[in-house]
Amino acid sequence: MTDSKYFTTTKKGEIFELKAELNSDKKEKKKEAVKKVIASMTVGKDVSALFPDVVNCMQTDNLELKKLVYLYLMNYAKSQPDMAIMAVNTFVKDCEDPNPLIRALAVRTMGCIRVDKITEYLCEPLRKCLKDEDPYVRKTAAVCVAKLHDINAQLVEDQGFLDTLKDLISDSNPMVVANAVAALSEIAESHPNSNLLDLNPQSINKLLTALNECTEWGQIFILDCLANYTPRDDRESQSICERVTPRLSHANSAVVLSAVKVLMKFMEMLPKDLDYYGTLLKKLAPPLVTLLSAEPELQYVALRNINLIVQKRPEILKHEMKVFFVKYNDPIYVKLEKLDIMIRLASQANIAQVLAELKEYATEVDVDFVRKAVRAIGRCAIKVEQSAERCVSTLLDLIQTKVNYVVQEAIVVIKDIFRKYPNKYESVIATLCENLDSLDEPEARAAMIWIVGEYAERIDNADELLESFLEGFHDESTQVQLQLLTAIVKLFLKKPTETQELVQQVLSLATQDSDNPDLRDRGYIYWRLLSTDPVAAKEVVLAEKPLISEETDLIEPTLLEELICHIGTLASVYHKPPSAFVEGSRGVMHKRLPLGGDIGGSPAMGAGFGAAPAVMPASLNAPVGGGLGDLFDLGGGVGMPMGAYIPPKTVWLPAMKAKGLEISGTFARRAGVIQMELVLTNKAMSVMTDFAIQFNRNSFGLAPAGPLQVLTPLGPNQTIEVSLPLSTVGPVMKMDPLNNLQVAVKNNIDVFYFSCQYPISMLFVEDGKMERQVFLATWKDIPNDNESQFQIQDCHLNSEAASNKLQGSNIFTIAKRTVEGQDMLYMSIKLSNGIWVLAELKVQAGNPNYTISLKCRAPEVSQCVFQCYEAVLKN
Amino acid sequence: MISQVFILSSKGDHLIYKDFRGEAGKDAVNKFYEMVTALTGGQPPVVMKHKELHFVHIRQGGLYWVATTKADASPFTIIEFLNRLTALVKDYCGCLLEKSVQMNFALIYELLDEVVDFGYIQTTSTDILKNFIQTEAVSSKPFSLFDLSNVGLFGADTQQNKVAPSAAATRPIVSSQGEQGSKNEIFVDVIERMSVVIGANGVLMKADIEGEIRVKCYMPSCSEMRIGLNEEFSIGKSQLSGYGAAVRVDECSFHQAVRLDEFDTYRILKVCPSQGEQTVMQYQLCDDLPTAPPFRLFPSIERDSGGRYRTLFIHLPLLSLFSPSLFSSLSQELSSPDQSAELQPKNKAVHWEIPRFPGGAQLSALFKLEVSGLSAASLQEVGPVSLSFELPKYTCTGLQIRFLRLSPIQPGPSQRWVRYVTHSDSYTIRI
Repeated sequence: MTDSKYFTTTKKGEIFELKAELNSDKKEKKKEAVKKVIASMTVGKDVSALFPDVVNCMQTDNLELKKLVYLYLMNYAKSQPDMAIMAVNTFVKDCEDPNPLIRALAVRTMGCIRVDKITEYLCEPLRKCLKDEDPYVRKTAAVCVAKLHDINAQLVEDQGFLDTLKDLISDSNPMVVANAVAALSEIAESHPNSNLLDLNPQSINKLLTALNECTEWGQIFILDCLANYTPRDDRESQSICERVTPRLSHANSAVVLSAVKVLMKFMEMLPKDLDYYGTLLKKLAPPLVTLLSAEPELQYVALRNINLIVQKRPEILKHEMKVFFVKYNDPIYVKLEKLDIMIRLASQANIAQVLAELKEYATEVDVDFVRKAVRAIGRCAIKVEQSAERCVSTLLDLIQTKVNYVVQEAIVVIKDIFRKYPNKYESVIATLCENLDSLDEPEARAAMIWIVGEYAERIDNADELLESFLEGFHDESTQVQLQLLTAIVKLFLKKPTETQELVQQVLSLATQDSDNPDLRDRGYIYWRLLSTDPVAAKEVVLAEKPLISEETDLIEPTLLEELICHIGTLASVYHKPPSAFVEGSRGVMHKRLPLGGDIGGSPAMGAGFGAAPAVMPASLNAPVGGGLGDLFDLGGGVGMPMGAYIPPKTVWLPAMKAKGLEISGTFARRAGVIQMELVLTNKAMSVMTDFAIQFNRNSFGLAPAGPLQVLTPLGPNQTIEVSLPLSTVGPVMKMDPLNNLQVAVKNNIDVFYFSCQYPISMLFVEDGKMERQVFLATWKDIPNDNESQFQIQDCHLNSEAASNKLQGSNIFTIAKRTVEGQDMLYMSIKLSNGIWVLAELKVQAGNPNYTISLKCRAPEVSQCVFQCYEAVLKN
Repeated sequence: MISQVFILSSKGDHLIYKDFRGEAGKDAVNKFYEMVTALTGGQPPVVMKHKELHFVHIRQGGLYWVATTKADASPFTIIEFLNRLTALVKDYCGCLLEKSVQMNFALIYELLDEVVDFGYIQTTSTDILKNFIQTEAVSSKPFSLFDLSNVGLFGADTQQNKVAPSAAATRPIVSSQGEQGSKNEIFVDVIERMSVVIGANGVLMKADIEGEIRVKCYMPSCSEMRIGLNEEFSIGKSQLSGYGAAVRVDECSFHQAVRLDEFDTYRILKVCPSQGEQTVMQYQLCDDLPTAPPFRLFPSIERDSGGRYRTLFIHLPLLSLFSPSLFSSLSQELSSPDQSAELQPKNKAVHWEIPRFPGGAQLSALFKLEVSGLSAASLQEVGPVSLSFELPKYTCTGLQIRFLRLSPIQPGPSQRWVRYVTHSDSYTIRI
């Protein structure tokens, strides 16, 4: 006897029959009947009329029957909320059952019944089950909290379930931990600002321990959760990486990808010259290669991800070119993705191999693939200059095959090669011209016409060729028409005598007989140019063209960064941010990679800095706006004797390094608020919009207190001054030098990075005057090792003036003593993060050199403070 | 997070439908079928999107196994999950057919309930699930040990293999009925897939082997199994032994249940196989094959003087691809009457089939193709020769199972089967 008969009974009185069977006394018969009901439900028949009868079967000690009834309940409870209440009692009773399977089953099913009225009855049993002795019940209850939150978020918060859930993260059973993490992650996503998943080194440690013990699916939850954490420094990030890397050899590709995501993100924080960084790079390659031996569906998803990884860190897979060679039995969508990655990985080292492959592909059967392969050859030529010649000869070989679409595709890419390497490969033009007649696609025709126009002086019969295109002018697509118009005008400017008639013909065709505004306007422009000033026309039309860029279709850097944070998810397959395809509040949060260049050290100032080596990644190193030295050496600053010292503005980001955006600026403290004063100048030809600013973590937690207020678009050659208030409550990390600030500025064109140094006097707060007694006690209390002495030379102020000047920058004189003609000034400074600096300044009448001793519990700041003294006193 | 899971027959009948999160309606099922049948060849079928709902599906046993999600979920997770689900259904119901899914719908619903909760995947281990599943599987036909039909290795379809009772591998793993459960059998399969590219000049351009060791276990309580591999088995390029006789792979990954404490010294994998099928070890080898590739080909192409015919001399099994050109007819000379060859104009290919090919033998074929408008350039278009083959009892890496020990010794008779097979994944010879 088989179950399939349930699907075939479709008689009229079926519901009636089922009703009778459901109310039968025999257990077997009841079970059969419920099965029949569920079979009908699956195929889409409405069996909701049987609700009371099915619910009646619920009170049974037969687990199989109970499960079937619950299955039915979950499906129909929503449409019959009043009836569903009938089931509540049984649920509550089942939650007390001695059998843990039944307890778990009840709590699981109750959560799936999405009826408001039931939820209130659910709270008590759920609370008990969350603390159940059986881990199977606890893990089910953890998920149930997420279910309940989805139905009634307020209730979950009021009942304190979230705290219980947080406690479960420390549960002894890894399965429970995994489910608690999954549930919390989901709940946290709908409250972006809540601190639900309070990730700190301790909780991370717990998660890493559970990671080793739980099932593969649990590992995915935990890894995804880890990916949201931002380590405090490179050491923590390295230790997490070390514990995550073993997951890379897991058999489940989802685990591997989640681990890759964590590593790609945390790698960002590791200094590049660290040995471990290189080791990690090497470890990432094999698992990615392994993914390519999976079934085509997984391969495709893997390739889409690898495409992102290769754009971000090409060094990972640079030696693995061969695995991306296509196999003849790959589905076409896999082939196309592989081809894309091959071009991204192409370099001088492997170009010969790549070209040989591409040439093979160009003779395959699938038209789309062949086209893309031909195009790829052109892209290689543009990307790797050394290979250009070989690429061109390969393309010529392909043109010889006379296969129509191959020829057309080859001509389109040869046009690009001409643009990239002008006056190098024109010898092939003759061959191209032979194939003029076979071109029937607009793009190929337009490319060919462009070539003829551009090199009209070298093609003897250029006028004839163009004339032949002109015959069917109105049947051509706009692309071809525009190109033809330009090409004939070029021809005319190069050979004015023979082609006057031709140019008049095309101008009248474009201006009088065409309805297309683009074409007409271009026609008129040429016409007027030619009639008013042929010399100017020549300068305009035959002007030197800018070179085309090397890499095409790269993903925009900010989007790429966000996508890297979503490796392994749908976003990485669509290559779109999740906000573009996920509805509601979920996933709207934009994830960002941590800004690089993190330097070891302690999280909070004053707790003793580790003597970590100062390393900055090369990318951020370049545009340093000028060290402190030259900052202060510039004379003629705005000297305000009694006000706070403000260094003169310097160029932080030169225009040549930022695609035309120049940024200069300085820092000031006005009325207790730290201001970053920026001057943005647009030296590019296009308008800049959408400015935004972000700081990397820095020693004193400086962070923008508001958005960068550039409200109007910045036109070419326009300058705007912006004042950005800063707060000191941002994330903290020790920088070297201490007052270094790494800044990222974004506009519609790109993201630019620079670093600048702020005078530490910005951070001296107004209430920095210490009580005398306290000063004395503190001075004694700080060990002598923390004292440092500096000389300030060539300062011609007397002690009175110096004291006044310093006070303007919140350096307060507490006492003054005169010993043997020397004025001893005792001063105190308080930094925004609560660190006190005590100073003793020795001023000798007639001696321009001052001696200053600084004492502080965090002696690292002394150097910066000294520099401030010097700057303030000399300005 | 998985929103719904459903199983459709190839004709679009609803076999199983389970909603986990109440986010999407049941109309999604029909929408999916509409979309999947409307796909063209070039479109990647992996992830499909309809409004806010994303479909991820795989095809197994002629059925569509589909999961939907509304969040930015991981397609890897979902595809792996669907594959595991099919494995589970196979373990519980015996085989993956429309009929067996239909017959066991109650069991599959029960499985789904345990495997996924609110869209979170809980566990896919047959062993753990055994504790929760109440429903018993219904088998489509009574199992007979003597039924040695050509079902083949569970990893692959084969015609030649009659080494092990193949049908034994297609019965449900989990069964409480006495007569079936008492059969203590364990299958260990070493399966290798080759992808090879041989250049026009006969140089081996690329050779990759992907291999795996799979275990299918029918023993209800197997305590520990020790699988001994070749003692000279080495991993990674650096460990090449002096005499070059080592069995070497580049990369190796293991199932998380495998214990490797004796692997480093004795090359022994220790595993407590749970009932059902699992991949114990996967490995890869790139480029440095220990032996020459199993097939060689010496093709030659000639144009006859009249320029109207093209003649191909080919010495081996082939699937030869031709690029665009029109051809009208094919004539052939094959070395044995049981072979066949046909021209497939749609694929622009000649397909040559060889039912059996003993080792150390040489076969040859000569095809004459009439090609209209033949030119010197069109010779360049003669595409590569591709081979599809299956070699039973052969591994390219030389990996062997030295022994298979169960400890403690199982009471009663137990049968242990070790099987080897090498498949072509993509074996291409360029002309």
